[in-house]
Amino acid sequence: MTLQVPCPNCGSRPHSEFTFGGEERPHVPRDTDTGLPRVLVPENAEGPQRERWFHAFGCRTWFTVTRDTRTNRIG
Amino acid sequence: MTREPLWFEGREVPVLEGDTVASALFRAGVRTFSRSLKTHRRRGLYCGTGECPNCTVTVDGVPGVRSCVTPATGGMRVRRDRGWPSAEHDLLHAADFLHPLMPVGFLTKTFIRPRFAWPVAERMIRRTTGSGPLPVDAPITRTVSRHVRCDAVVVGAGTAGLSATLEAATGGERVTLCDLFPIGSRVPPGPTLDAILELEPIARANPNIEILEDHAALGLFEGPTVPLAGPAELVEVHPQHVVVATGATELHPLFPGNDLPGVWLGRAASAMAALHGVPVGRRVVVVASTVEGMEHLHALVAAGTSVIAAIVPAAFVDEVPRQTEAIVDGELIEAHGRGRVRSVLVREGGERRRIACDTLVLSMGLAPRDELARMAVGEPVDVVGDAALEVDEPRLGGGYLCLCEDVAVHDLEQAWAEGFRSVEILKRYTTAAMGPCRGAMCARALACFARDRADVADVRAGVRTTSRPPVRPVALETLAASVHEVIEKRTGLHDVHVAAGATLEWSGGWKRPLTYGDQREEYLAVRERVGLMDVGTLGRFLIAGRDAMRLADAVFPGRIDDLAPSRSRYVLALDEAGYVADDGLLCALDDGSYLLTSTSGGAERMEARLREWADRLDLHVHLLDRTSELGAILVAGPRVRDLLHGLTDEPIEPATLSYPGHREIVVAGIPCRAIRNGFVGELAFELHHPRSRGPELWGALLRAGEAFQVSAFGLDALEVLRLEKGHVYLGQDTLPDDTPDKLGLGWAVEMTKPWFVGKPSLERLARLPRTRRLAGLEFDHAPADAAELRGVPLTVGDSIVGRVTSSASSPVLDRAIGLGWIRSGDEGFPTELRAGSTVGRVVPTPFYDPEGARVRG
Amino acid sequence: MAELRTSSPPVTSVLASTDACERVAGLPGACRIGPTEVAIVGDVSTAAVLQAVRRLDPDAVVLDVSDGWVAHTLEGSGAREALSRMTELELPVSGFVQGEVARIGVRMLVDGDRIDLLAPSMHADHLRDRIRADCAELLR
Repeated sequence: MTLQVPCPNCGSRPHSEFTFGGEERPHVPRDTDTGLPRVLVPENAEGPQRERWFHAFGCRTWFTVTRDTRTNRIG
Repeated sequence: MTREPLWFEGREVPVLEGDTVASALFRAGVRTFSRSLKTHRRRGLYCGTGECPNCTVTVDGVPGVRSCVTPATGGMRVRRDRGWPSAEHDLLHAADFLHPLMPVGFLTKTFIRPRFAWPVAERMIRRTTGSGPLPVDAPITRTVSRHVRCDAVVVGAGTAGLSATLEAATGGERVTLCDLFPIGSRVPPGPTLDAILELEPIARANPNIEILEDHAALGLFEGPTVPLAGPAELVEVHPQHVVVATGATELHPLFPGNDLPGVWLGRAASAMAALHGVPVGRRVVVVASTVEGMEHLHALVAAGTSVIAAIVPAAFVDEVPRQTEAIVDGELIEAHGRGRVRSVLVREGGERRRIACDTLVLSMGLAPRDELARMAVGEPVDVVGDAALEVDEPRLGGGYLCLCEDVAVHDLEQAWAEGFRSVEILKRYTTAAMGPCRGAMCARALACFARDRADVADVRAGVRTTSRPPVRPVALETLAASVHEVIEKRTGLHDVHVAAGATLEWSGGWKRPLTYGDQREEYLAVRERVGLMDVGTLGRFLIAGRDAMRLADAVFPGRIDDLAPSRSRYVLALDEAGYVADDGLLCALDDGSYLLTSTSGGAERMEARLREWADRLDLHVHLLDRTSELGAILVAGPRVRDLLHGLTDEPIEPATLSYPGHREIVVAGIPCRAIRNGFVGELAFELHHPRSRGPELWGALLRAGEAFQVSAFGLDALEVLRLEKGHVYLGQDTLPDDTPDKLGLGWAVEMTKPWFVGKPSLERLARLPRTRRLAGLEFDHAPADAAELRGVPLTVGDSIVGRVTSSASSPVLDRAIGLGWIRSGDEGFPTELRAGSTVGRVVPTPFYDPEGARVRG
Repeated sequence: MAELRTSSPPVTSVLASTDACERVAGLPGACRIGPTEVAIVGDVSTAAVLQAVRRLDPDAVVLDVSDGWVAHTLEGSGAREALSRMTELELPVSGFVQGEVARIGVRMLVDGDRIDLLAPSMHADHLRDRIRADCAELLR
């Protein structure tokens, strides 16, 4: 029921306090043909994934964590 | 002391001290407590611990009550759930005789075709196999939820649970101890109860221990979190570690006749005889394979029960009471009888022997209640006491494996023969272990069944099915604890709208006025005179700091660097795929910062978006959400300046506050930022002001506007006003993959900028032909209320080429108009189409005042 | 038991660099919302604060945002229990904590058995209604 997400400012909080921002992905491809897929198509890796979280109900800052998509463990 | 009786199907039943509903009914002679789910066989008391479904009755209109663990109180109205015309004489019992003709899956297999008959068949099936009607008239009670943080939660307050609790508390931990029942209340007199009574007061006296009786643990979730369902509350416990001390249920043995009334598990029988003082039968046969079983045998005899025979292992033979015939190392083969037990067949020393009896009591093993522990995926969980026992595999004789869902062993054999050859598939096909007991009584046997028959190589075929919450049936009302209404956002003018009699409706998370009475009059006020609207729901954001322009330039696809102070610009917000996510107005302030407005529903996402790009691009900006802090009132119509002149001395003329621009002015003594706005197609100012002064400003505007017949207007009027200008409602007129050019908003994009969010995608998409766009539509022979066309597919001939997304009858144009998306075909985009029986034409937008002269004035 | 009171205290938002925020983080009523944001609850001179932070961050923003916040105060022996019905958060004995209460973001100032819940004005009614509904029998 409560996946705990570690906010760097506020500490470990239940996931309902956050907005999930998806996989961390590059945003500025110089070459749209080869770079664009990296921007738009997620890796969707099985295992550790770097992803973006926004502390919507707290300090309202964005940060990145590594979560294992198999076990749901963060860090 | 005479106690008030309870009512059972129209007759009074006495209630004695300590009675459960089951004991009171049993004492009064009730033997059939329910009918089995599919075949309507009679079912009597069996487990005594609230796990099997047999004793389930309806109490005070609420079905599914386990009478064996529910205390009886005077005045209760009890009746049995199933059976027609009554549980006692149930004609639907005919199903049992037809059982050989009704194999597993019979109902679905037979009645699924013809399809048109299924609704009728389904209703009939529900009536004959259901568990009783829901109490739809019962008053809705409010369940409250609360959170408890502690070091340890201990589930189960038996000897193991109490010991673990005291040990943890002595070690300095804060402990939450819970149990399904009051401590010790379901344990008959004996050494176990003595041990509990010794530990209980120590636990109660300890301030670090919180005891929650009558609370059922529903499951083990990430965190870990253990939710407990109590009588009127849902407690979410957040411990550091979990101790499972839920004990074990008595084994549900499998043999023909195992579900007949008169067959009891040991705990139920000894509780009835010793705790409640009601004899279970006149000729009782006991099968006691365990130490606990022997305790139950002794309890029965001590309570005066006539136990004629006891089947025991050789080790226990000396403890069998003298009056009882000991059958050493005997084997129970079957129970026999129509409607109840009349005899049992046993094997003794190689010989088969029938014993006439009216009651069979079974204590043939234990099934640890480890469902909670099996839910753990790495959470810190300890299992103690009987719940941690290693037990032998159950023996698979015949009879009923799943009492809840009425699944017999031969049903499983038939399913296996049909090809359903793993425990997970068997469970889903036969519904075994899917009933209210949640597999507590039958899951091991089911797994054994599959394991015995599967290939040795198939490791997973016989693994017990996944343990899922809830462990116990829980009312939806409990799960909904403290969840009552959607969060309602309100502007500072909310009470004003309510007092004015406005019809309020949900819009983007806010409650907003649809109309104050006459939508058409409100519309006309704006077109002909002046109208007021509460737009305090708009997102407002301050973007400041030295990189404010760079952030705006990155996030919005249009030109930003040439936006001078006191000027505003319509902006789009795109996502990285180039799709339109939101829109708004960007106002450049004097000091290099910006005030951004966004749609009411998109405000939270807009702020998250701004913060994300500031972070990703490492920009030095200061962002502040001012949505709550500022009210906003839209004043719109040709007489706007006349109205405002009475309330302000500040310059608001075309030359001093031109479109699209903004400036700070004082209106009726209230400091505002006036922003020129074109959404409704008339001369208009958005007055952004301190929220607390909103009612004052609104009142002043209404009073000053009386001379011009000002009217407040709501969302209904706004819908038509904006539609006449062809203005898009994001989410209503847009599809998730609409790029700006599909919406006719390509002019808001500056592709010569080196980069903005979504630019790479737009470049790529620009190389593809555009096959869809949003178009303005005019209709002939539309329905009287053209709004009915909304959602109607647009067709050319037989093909669907689009859909109407917005439509309305335009009073000023005297036409039915709309917006819709259309797909291009071989000859480009269609121009003539139909919406149902209405003829439609694609026309350019805006429909009204295409030059925008009224807005720019 | 607990008492519920509603008020509109002064609130000042300070948006400035991390170093600049450090300068004002110790003022009475100062709450560190994030690395670059401080909220000061209570009377304070906006001009003085602006001067203090502008020395380290010339772009710093200091705004009176009192209209944007409403304070619901729970005080009494039942205050913490009332909170436990609306949030999973563990409250400190005293100090500032922000997080989810009754499904919205709330800023809390805790001092013993007095808890000030600051909610954005648009959510103020929702929070008040939730407190009254879920904690009915705890309120005086």
